[in-house]
Amino acid sequence: MQIQSLFSFFVDPVLRAPTVGCMLMCLGASLVGVIVFLRRQSLIGEVLSHAAYPGVILGTLFAGIFFVQTFEELKLALFALTGAFITSLLGLWLIHFMEEYCKVPSDAALCFVLSTFFGIGLTIASEVQFSFTSLYKQVLTYLYGQAATMTDIHIAIYGILALGISLLIILLYKEIQVITFDKQYAKSLGINIKTINILIFMLVTLSVIIGIRSVGVVLMSAMLIAPAAAARQFTHRLPVMFLLAGLFGLGSGFFGIYFSVILTDYFSTYFPSARLILPTGPMIVLVASFICIGSLLFAPERGLVIRFMRIAAFRYRCIGENVLKAIWRVGPDTSLHLNQLANYQACSKKYLCFILWRLCNRGWIQRDDAGKYLLTCDGRYKAARIVRLHRLWEVYLVDYLGIGAERVHKNAEEMEHILTPELERELTFLLNDPKEDPHHQPIPPREEFNV
Amino acid sequence: MTIPLNDSALTVNQLSVNYGKTPVLWDISLEIPQGVLVGIIGPNGAGKSTFIKAALGLIQPLSGKVEFFGESLKKMRQRVAYVPQRESVDWEFPVTVRDLVMMGRYGRLGLWHRPRRADWVAVDHYLEIVGMTAYGGRQINQLSGGQQQRIFIARALLQEADIYFMDEPFAGIDIGSETVIIRLLKELRNKGKTVFVVHHDLNTVEQYFDWTMVLNMRLVACGLVKDVFNPQNLVKAYGKSYALFDEALKRSQQKNTGVIP
Repeated sequence: MQIQSLFSFFVDPVLRAPTVGCMLMCLGASLVGVIVFLRRQSLIGEVLSHAAYPGVILGTLFAGIFFVQTFEELKLALFALTGAFITSLLGLWLIHFMEEYCKVPSDAALCFVLSTFFGIGLTIASEVQFSFTSLYKQVLTYLYGQAATMTDIHIAIYGILALGISLLIILLYKEIQVITFDKQYAKSLGINIKTINILIFMLVTLSVIIGIRSVGVVLMSAMLIAPAAAARQFTHRLPVMFLLAGLFGLGSGFFGIYFSVILTDYFSTYFPSARLILPTGPMIVLVASFICIGSLLFAPERGLVIRFMRIAAFRYRCIGENVLKAIWRVGPDTSLHLNQLANYQACSKKYLCFILWRLCNRGWIQRDDAGKYLLTCDGRYKAARIVRLHRLWEVYLVDYLGIGAERVHKNAEEMEHILTPELERELTFLLNDPKEDPHHQPIPPREEFNV
Repeated sequence: MTIPLNDSALTVNQLSVNYGKTPVLWDISLEIPQGVLVGIIGPNGAGKSTFIKAALGLIQPLSGKVEFFGESLKKMRQRVAYVPQRESVDWEFPVTVRDLVMMGRYGRLGLWHRPRRADWVAVDHYLEIVGMTAYGGRQINQLSGGQQQRIFIARALLQEADIYFMDEPFAGIDIGSETVIIRLLKELRNKGKTVFVVHHDLNTVEQYFDWTMVLNMRLVACGLVKDVFNPQNLVKAYGKSYALFDEALKRSQQKNTGVIP
């Protein structure tokens, strides 16, 4: 088999069904996932998919009793889906019952239902293995998912379900929004929250049971949460979040299949003896998780990396300003050696060298022939301003907030890097331009560095 | 504006509310006229929020009847607005200030209908009234406590109701917002609306409200501030005489639930 082009995945008679089917199921799951994610009920997907498993088996069992043959795929799929739907709802009801009437904490109820239903499922599965051996293979596909064997019939079923889910979310958008945000307020508006909650749970159940065919019971919940969590990183608006989650879902569905086919192809060509086959379901989940991790790390506003970069930039500024201050305090016209400066700074010598190099570059300090560092004229003004902010802040803390003079230094050490010129003006005005800080040290006047 | 059917804005008849087997409100009966600002006061756990929620039908009362303008809540739903406690919602939720205020129209719009241009114009109008125009496009987690409270009030104003229930609108907000809010409440009252406010600060009761309800599981007093806001009633609500009642109640709860804490 030769390497496929992206487009061929949609027309190839073998690949078409799994590709479109997986994309549709991921779309449905990720849209519903946004609701579940914002309601902080992320575990519900996990529970529902496991609770669906006994249903799948019972459905298949019934199919066997009614003499449905292995090749009648539509009938088999319908039997399995109906069973899954029923037991999922049963699980949901049981959770509700345990929370409401037995006062069991939510997480305990979820765990209980998850393991009990899955356990029952596994028990019946071993029974099916002996009584309907030919159908047992079908049962297994639902455990870990098997996208490759999907046919056009599956596309039709999934297509209709995914379309229905999307349509309902669009039509009920404003009710979903307000109920998710504030249930009580929604009720006070006269919105029938009971009916809409039931509808939402139906949607979640539907999206989970159509997903287990391709991703499997065990991994399904990832498809609900990963796209939603990723989308949350990029936006503050709910419609955009739905849209992004949907796109991430479609993307992971497609690239899951793509990589599974391409990589399996690659391995069979170059390492035929290894017989590596990358299954589709886990591949889809991996792609989704990859998108999610990527977003958590690199999202422009909330991403971890950008936040660390901001922290590092602030630290860089602080140390630079502290160096200027250190020289200024020894004497505005004195020059200090690297080792002398290192005594004042809590950072490695290498980093200090870098900072000094940057400060020279920026024109705040200069290096004399002896290798010592000296403030430039601009550097002197800048250093005086920092000291001024430090001491002004100390005066403010002592005079206005009544904090002991001996305790204000540490806080001022931080605030001197944070105060803006506007705040400085306000402080100056409020404190009536003081000349001395609480430790009786002079505050450099404004004029000194304005001239 | 529709003509009121009945003289009193709110009539409550023998309202009792339980949480499980724990009584929270006992046999409350009262009548509140239209066009007054009512302060609901009482110690912690007195059932102030519960009273509001029961009146709004958010929790099912054990017994009793609540009527607005002599009609059931079902018929009057769109004429009653609710401002929940600020802490009761997740401010990280991905909506903007305008989106949040628009929720006030959802009840009137009904199922399947989307907000129209006119509704958005109304949103901006009420944002201006509470002085939050500049924040319309902001994400709600960027607001201070007072600003959060103001947009909650804008949302209730957008409902253009005749009766307002506000759960602790003055809790944890800055003095500027408090001034804005109390001015708005007085304007509402002057337009003939009835406003119920759960309130904690006893010092400002006389200054802010026309009527007051003193509550401690039972209705201690209800009437004009100058008539009922007096030391006797406050001692009854906050003082020791209720400690006995409290103690007896706790014991009855233990007996009923079989739990000994």
